[in-house]
Amino acid sequence: MVEDVYIEGAVLEISWADQKRSLTELIYSTVSKAVEDAGGSYDGIDSVVLAAHDLVDGRSLSSMVTAPAAGAYLRDEVRYSDDGAGAFAAAVARIEAGESERSIVAAWGRASEHDVEELSRALFDRIFLAPLGLEELHISALNAQKWRLNGGDCSQVEAAQAARGAAAKANPRALQQGGFRSTPAYPLTSDHLPLWADVVAAVVISKRPAGVKVKGLGLSSEPYWLGDRGIAKAPALQRASERALAEAQIGVDQIDLFEMDGMTLYDEAIALEAIGLAQPGEGMRFLAQDARCNPSGGSMAGYGVPAMGLARIVEATLQLRGTAGPVQQGKPRTALASGLSVTAAQTQTVVVLEAA
Amino acid sequence: MDLVTIEGKWDFNYTYFAGESASRFFHELRENQRIMGTRCTKCEKLLVPARSYCDVCMAPTDEWAEVGPEGTLETFTIIATAFPGLPPPPIVMAYVTLDGADTALINLVHGLDVTDIEAAAQKLNTLPRVRVKFVDEPKGRITDFHFELI
Amino acid sequence: MSAAIIGVGQTGYRRSFPDKSSRELIWEAARLALEDANMDIDGIDMVISGVAPDALAGEASVERTAMLGFGKPFLRINTGGVTGSSAVFAGNTFVKAKRARAVLVVGLERMGQATSSQQVFNTIFDPVYEKDFPLTTITMAALRASMLMRLYGYNAMHWAQIASRSFRNAMKNPLAHIHKDISPEDVLNSPLLAWPIHRFEACPMSEGACAVVIAHKDMVGDRTPAWIQGAASITDSYAMGDRIHRPGATLVDLLSLQMAAQRAYKEAGVDRPREQIRAIELYSAFSSAEAMAYPALGLCAAQDGPRFVEAQFTDPSIPVFNPSGGPQGANPVSATAMVRIAEAALQVRDMAGARQVADVDRAVATGQGGATQFSTVCVLGKRQAA
Repeated sequence: MVEDVYIEGAVLEISWADQKRSLTELIYSTVSKAVEDAGGSYDGIDSVVLAAHDLVDGRSLSSMVTAPAAGAYLRDEVRYSDDGAGAFAAAVARIEAGESERSIVAAWGRASEHDVEELSRALFDRIFLAPLGLEELHISALNAQKWRLNGGDCSQVEAAQAARGAAAKANPRALQQGGFRSTPAYPLTSDHLPLWADVVAAVVISKRPAGVKVKGLGLSSEPYWLGDRGIAKAPALQRASERALAEAQIGVDQIDLFEMDGMTLYDEAIALEAIGLAQPGEGMRFLAQDARCNPSGGSMAGYGVPAMGLARIVEATLQLRGTAGPVQQGKPRTALASGLSVTAAQTQTVVVLEAA
Repeated sequence: MDLVTIEGKWDFNYTYFAGESASRFFHELRENQRIMGTRCTKCEKLLVPARSYCDVCMAPTDEWAEVGPEGTLETFTIIATAFPGLPPPPIVMAYVTLDGADTALINLVHGLDVTDIEAAAQKLNTLPRVRVKFVDEPKGRITDFHFELI
Repeated sequence: MSAAIIGVGQTGYRRSFPDKSSRELIWEAARLALEDANMDIDGIDMVISGVAPDALAGEASVERTAMLGFGKPFLRINTGGVTGSSAVFAGNTFVKAKRARAVLVVGLERMGQATSSQQVFNTIFDPVYEKDFPLTTITMAALRASMLMRLYGYNAMHWAQIASRSFRNAMKNPLAHIHKDISPEDVLNSPLLAWPIHRFEACPMSEGACAVVIAHKDMVGDRTPAWIQGAASITDSYAMGDRIHRPGATLVDLLSLQMAAQRAYKEAGVDRPREQIRAIELYSAFSSAEAMAYPALGLCAAQDGPRFVEAQFTDPSIPVFNPSGGPQGANPVSATAMVRIAEAALQVRDMAGARQVADVDRAVATGQGGATQFSTVCVLGKRQAA
């Protein structure tokens, strides 16, 4: 790493179908709050890195209107159609490259404006998979069932779900009213599914020392063909986390707080195994019993692709600052956050943060 | 060996939330037949159509003010070919700065003879003054009004 | 300068490639770029993919169907018409940040699968205020072209001459989509789309893939580099109506391009662009849009634009525009801004074949996206230091 990069401002806003506000108004609100959180001034902000998807926003080249809402006017702005944690990594790279001193990073997904199932089906190739009516949730279900068949500790499923539910209820940032749950597929039940919501996350990062420092980044990918991927293993997450931890020069056992992106309860459990915190089959037990794991409530608190990696980063940041509210887990000094992309977690980004 | 092609149709459904500001703008069109702008609290420009924030200043707007009903044409085009899903040609489209506004607004221009496109273009090149004309039954959409040459 | 383009791959551009799947087009461009870079995929530390509106391909997240190499960091960018250059710039960033020694950047356009691109392009406009209008990229450009004619004295023949020049250059580019000897008169006789724009002033619907390999200076070795001397990107406000009254930078003053050019030139040590830049791969979706770029790129004053166009055909000291044929020759939307960079790189590396311009020490590639809302400028050079 060439430069130390800090997180100066971090805000997460989750809502549902707020008819008073257009998408751009939601983005403007969250970004303004993040800048406020970072000291209140746009001085020195020379870069805007965004994560959003045209099909989620409902228009082609949606960044034409959303970028200015995120502070892009006459600035160097780029929009990734990828997960928010990936955009975060790109923004960090800009500062490290000497191209930027201070950057806004924002990501959003407004589930109330579109049909999430329709969109999810559209992600699969038209030739081999779309005719099967496949959705990303089905991939999560296939992974979940494989985890169970591999001997995953199923006795912990209910407890893990209860823990997540309690956390989501206590999390002031979580969605308490509204939201959408799609149709579960065996072995998933409704409670395991994400609560689709209108999610906007924004951070301000900079070279200037602030409360939270970026210690490591790692990215990795898996093949397109589902049959070529490691089922129930999340190998891209494993590699990404190895890279991030190596850069941070720290082992997973030294991490105090985990915010793992996963569409369903099972994805979150598998994620904890992939990063080496839990042994294979034990991830569910960690979710049930280890308070360091997804104290935000995970995908139950509100889910809006492709914002989730950045949402995880915000939750981790608040924990490191001690400002997470009722879900604060003591005084963590290090945190690991992850974000996954379409299609069905094909690429992953892991970020290791430290209280500075 | 035949090359396989697969037919497809994308037809995604969306419900776009216009938000309170845009809703009020449309409400004013429908109920009061007037076009409203809002003023940026920082640069003080009157922005039309009305909006809740100024993206240049990244600051909220406050004051609502009516603009027009007359204005100046800034630039135009005459659409000569049909595009799928859009009204039949020829149509005149223009940016107009309504009196009092600091930004221009786009809408169609009616009432101009467009049988000779070049002649119509030359006429519009003189940047004539225009007036807002509302339809008989406004619905609270941008198509509730258009421009006419004065 | 820390980074250089050491490999370029292009599948060539056509209305459609019915025998290739999207992933095959990506692989083909990547393979060609790696070959040109004399590298294999294991030498690549990261892949960045540029794919613009999914609706043009009719495949959501089509870039993920073609992973290149095993387990590499991978990110996709979508910034509309500047996607290709945004992706190159992002690759440049990761190399400069020392997070990758070499990045493979691939742009894919798959609009060959679409029935009508204009229907898709209409969806880029604001669903709240603008969807009900025939606001398209064509009418957008027409609104500006009519303003340019009124303000600076351009006429229909200027637009036609620019278009004809592009087509004639494309005849020397085997990769281009259109190979037709179209004269200015042919342009003026083509159907009027939206006054004052004629059909032959617009770009074709092209598909294809383009890839470049960007390497850190320590990796270049004895390869032939095109050094990335300057790279800048600026985003303007969305509403064109907001720009009309902006002091000093109205609708036809491309402020975002001007700012991007100033930054890129400064980084590259360019202070006399008209003398120091030999070839310019300029993105403009319509021939009339090119006129807005001249003053923004510091090549002439806005009011001298018409004479600058005329001088292009008589004064050999003026930079050569779009030796590849530019977007009129081929416009694969997602990749198009990368194609400009790739072609500029070929010019600098003396690898442009029949379309090679002589003595290219420096070349510039520009990108435009949205209603000229996003602008990118890339300065490439033979020399590492300015």
